Amino acid sequence: MNAIQVQDLYKSFGEIQAVQGVSFEVQLGEIFSLLGPNGAGKTTTIALLSTLLRPDQGDALVMGQSVREQPMEVKKVLGVVPQEIALYEDLSARENLIFWGKMYGLRGAALRTRTDEVLETIGLTERAEGRVSKFSGGMKRRVNIGVALLHKPQIIYMDEPTVGIDPQSRRNILDSVVALKDQGMTVLYTTHYMEEAQELSDHIAILDHGKLIASGTHAELVKLVGEMDRVRLSFHPQLEPDLAAWKAIPGIVSITNEDGALSILTPDSNQLLPALFEIAISRGVRITSVEIHEPNLESVFLHLTGRALRD
Amino acid sequence: MKLLDIAFKDMTRSFRSANALMFMFVIPLLVSGMFAFMFGNLVHGGKFNLPRIRLVVANIDHNAPRLQGGSNNIPGSLHANSLAELVVAVLQSEDMTDLLEVSLVPDADTARAKVDNRQAQVAVIIPADFSRQFADLNRQAELEFYQDPTLTIGPEVIRSILSQFMDSLAGVKIAADLAIDASLDQDYSLVGQVIQRYLEITQLGEDPGKDLLDIHAPPSTQANDNPLARIIAPIMGGMMIFYAFYTGTASAESILTEEEERTLQRLFTTPTPQSTILSGKLLAVFLTVIVQMSVLLAASHLLFGIFWGQLVPVGLVVIGTVCSSSSMGIFINSLLRDSKQGGVVFGGVLTLTGMIGMVRIFAMGAPFASGLGEMVSLIVPQGWAVRGLLQAMSAEPPGNVLLTALVMLVWSLVFFISGVQRFNRRYA
Repeated sequence: MNAIQVQDLYKSFGEIQAVQGVSFEVQLGEIFSLLGPNGAGKTTTIALLSTLLRPDQGDALVMGQSVREQPMEVKKVLGVVPQEIALYEDLSARENLIFWGKMYGLRGAALRTRTDEVLETIGLTERAEGRVSKFSGGMKRRVNIGVALLHKPQIIYMDEPTVGIDPQSRRNILDSVVALKDQGMTVLYTTHYMEEAQELSDHIAILDHGKLIASGTHAELVKLVGEMDRVRLSFHPQLEPDLAAWKAIPGIVSITNEDGALSILTPDSNQLLPALFEIAISRGVRITSVEIHEPNLESVFLHLTGRALRD
Repeated sequence: MKLLDIAFKDMTRSFRSANALMFMFVIPLLVSGMFAFMFGNLVHGGKFNLPRIRLVVANIDHNAPRLQGGSNNIPGSLHANSLAELVVAVLQSEDMTDLLEVSLVPDADTARAKVDNRQAQVAVIIPADFSRQFADLNRQAELEFYQDPTLTIGPEVIRSILSQFMDSLAGVKIAADLAIDASLDQDYSLVGQVIQRYLEITQLGEDPGKDLLDIHAPPSTQANDNPLARIIAPIMGGMMIFYAFYTGTASAESILTEEEERTLQRLFTTPTPQSTILSGKLLAVFLTVIVQMSVLLAASHLLFGIFWGQLVPVGLVVIGTVCSSSSMGIFINSLLRDSKQGGVVFGGVLTLTGMIGMVRIFAMGAPFASGLGEMVSLIVPQGWAVRGLLQAMSAEPPGNVLLTALVMLVWSLVFFISGVQRFNRRYA
C-alpha cells in the first residue's frame, strides 16, 4: 500500500489556479520531496493533503483514507510541521508539547513520557521550562517539529522547515528528517532548496505554476536532461541578444541568455570551452567568469521550464 | 475534554499577560481606590464627617403659648416651654452636635450681623408671632432664614432639617386649630396643652435629631451601612462592568491572534473537530470574565466594604454580565479582519458603549436627570448590567433582577449567534 496516493488534485483561489491536476504516489517509509520555486503550489498541496483545504476536484488517499471523505481519520495518522512557526510563544516548550499532545489525544502518563522523549529528540530537555518567546529561531523550529512527532504519526508533512534559519540548525533539521525515516516514518517534504531535495529524497516531484512537471528518483530526473553539464558564462561588456553565432557551436544542446550571461547545456563541457573562448574573442567580448555544473535538479528544472529554480 | 484543554490554555495565556491583568483587575480597583481616597476624609469612622455648620438662632417669640406644665415635660430629652423653644431645642439637640454649632442671640439684627461678619454661616430667626401663626390654620408659620450666599451645603442641610421638623408638626397645627375652635374664645393657652399632648402621643420629641438625619440616607444603598461604601459601590460597579466588557472582547480576540500566529490552522490539522476548537475558545472567554468579576466583587468587598447584595440576585447579574460581555466580544471580533483593527475598534466601541452604559451612575448625583440617564443607558448591554447591579445592591425583589438578567441574556443570544455564524463561515 502507498502511504499517500494523490489523484488529479485541483485547487483554485478565485482566478488563481494554485494546484492543477497534480498526481503522485508516496511509498511507505520513504522521504518524498516536493521541489519548486515559491508560488509553485507546494504549500497548497500540503494543505490539501492535511485536510486544511478541500480540493475542488480530485482526491488523495492517506494511509488508504480519503482526504475528502474521512478527514478526521487522515488527521490521526498525520503530523504536520507548518512552514511558519506555529507555537504559543507565551507558554514553555513543555507546555506547548503537552497541549498539542492532548490535541492528538494523548493523556496522563503516556503524554508525560512522550513529551520527555520528544524533548530529548529535539535536544531541548534542558530548556523545557523556558518560554518559547525567549528561544532562538532554530530552537523554535525544533519545537515546531517536535509538536508533529508527539503522537508518533505514520506520516509527517514538513513544509519548508529550514526557511530562515542558521546553517547549524538547518543541518540539525536535515539530520532529524533522515532519523525519522530510519524510525520508519514516511516523510513528505517540501522545499525550494534543490540541495535539500537532492540530499534527502528517495523520490522527488517538481512543481511549477501548480503543475507537476516531473517526478522520480534523483537519477531518473537527471536523465531527463541527458546527464549533461551546465556551463554558465559571464561577459564584459554584456552580451548582445543575438545568440546565432553561439548556437552554431557543435556540442551545444540548449543555450539561453539570462541577463547577459549564457547558460549552456552540453554533454561535455571540456570539449566545448575552447570554442566558446574563440567566439567570445571574435565577437569582441571578454569572458569574466566560467561556471561548470554537473547535472543536478537545477539543470532539470532549467531544462523543463527554461528558468532557473531560484527565479 | 479537548474543549476544556483549549479553554484552560487560553486562560493560562490571558492570566500571564501583564496587560490583561492590568485591565482586568488593577485598573478597576485602582480607580475605585482613588475615589475611596478622595472621600475617605469626608467619610470617617462610618459617618459623614462634614465640617460643623455655625448656626446662630434668634428666638424673639417671647409671648408664645406655653406648653403644658412648662419645661422638662416634653417626652425624650428635649426641654422647651413653647413651640419656638422646641425649634431651638431640636437644633441644639445632642444628635445635631456633630453637624451644628448653635449659638443663641437676643434679636434678629444681631443674628444677621453675625452672618454678615462671617461669624456664622446661617441665621435662623424665630419671629415674635411664630407660635400664633402656627396655631392659625389659615396662616402659614414662617421662620426667617438668613445665610451666607456663597455657601450651599451647610444652609441646605439646616433648611432640610427645619422643613422636616415643621412638616412633622403639621398634625399638631390641625389639632391646635380644632381645640381653639372648640373653646370658642380663642384661648391660646390651649395651644400649648394640645401641642404637649400631641407630642406625647406621637413621641415626636424622642430623639428628633436621629429621625431627621436618617431622612438623608440614600434609599438605593440601604444595605451598605458604611457611607464610604455607599459612595464607592456604584463607581466600583461601573468600573467592573466597563472592564468586564473589555475583557470579553480582548479574550475573544484570541481567535484572531491565533489565526495570525498560525496556531489556529495547526489546531485544524489535529484530529479535533472545528466545533470543539471554537467552543473551547469561547468557553475561555466566558470563564475569564467570570474569574474577573468574582475577584473584583470579592476584592471590593474586602477593600471598600461594599455589600453587593444577596447571593442569588448578584449571581444573576454576574451571569448576565458575563454572557453579554463575552458574546459582545465574540460578535465584535467576528467583524474584524485582523487583530490590528482590534485596538481602534475596541477603544472606540467599548469606550463609547461603556460610557453610555454608565450614564445612570453619572446621573445619580443629579436626581432630576436620573430617569433620563437610566433610559439612555439601557440602549447598550452595559446599561442593563449596571441596572441589574444597582437592583441587587438596593435589595429589589429577585423578580426585578431576574427580568434584567433575562434582557441581558437576550442581548447575549443575539450577539452570540451572529458572532458564531460569522466565525463558522470564516473557517468553513
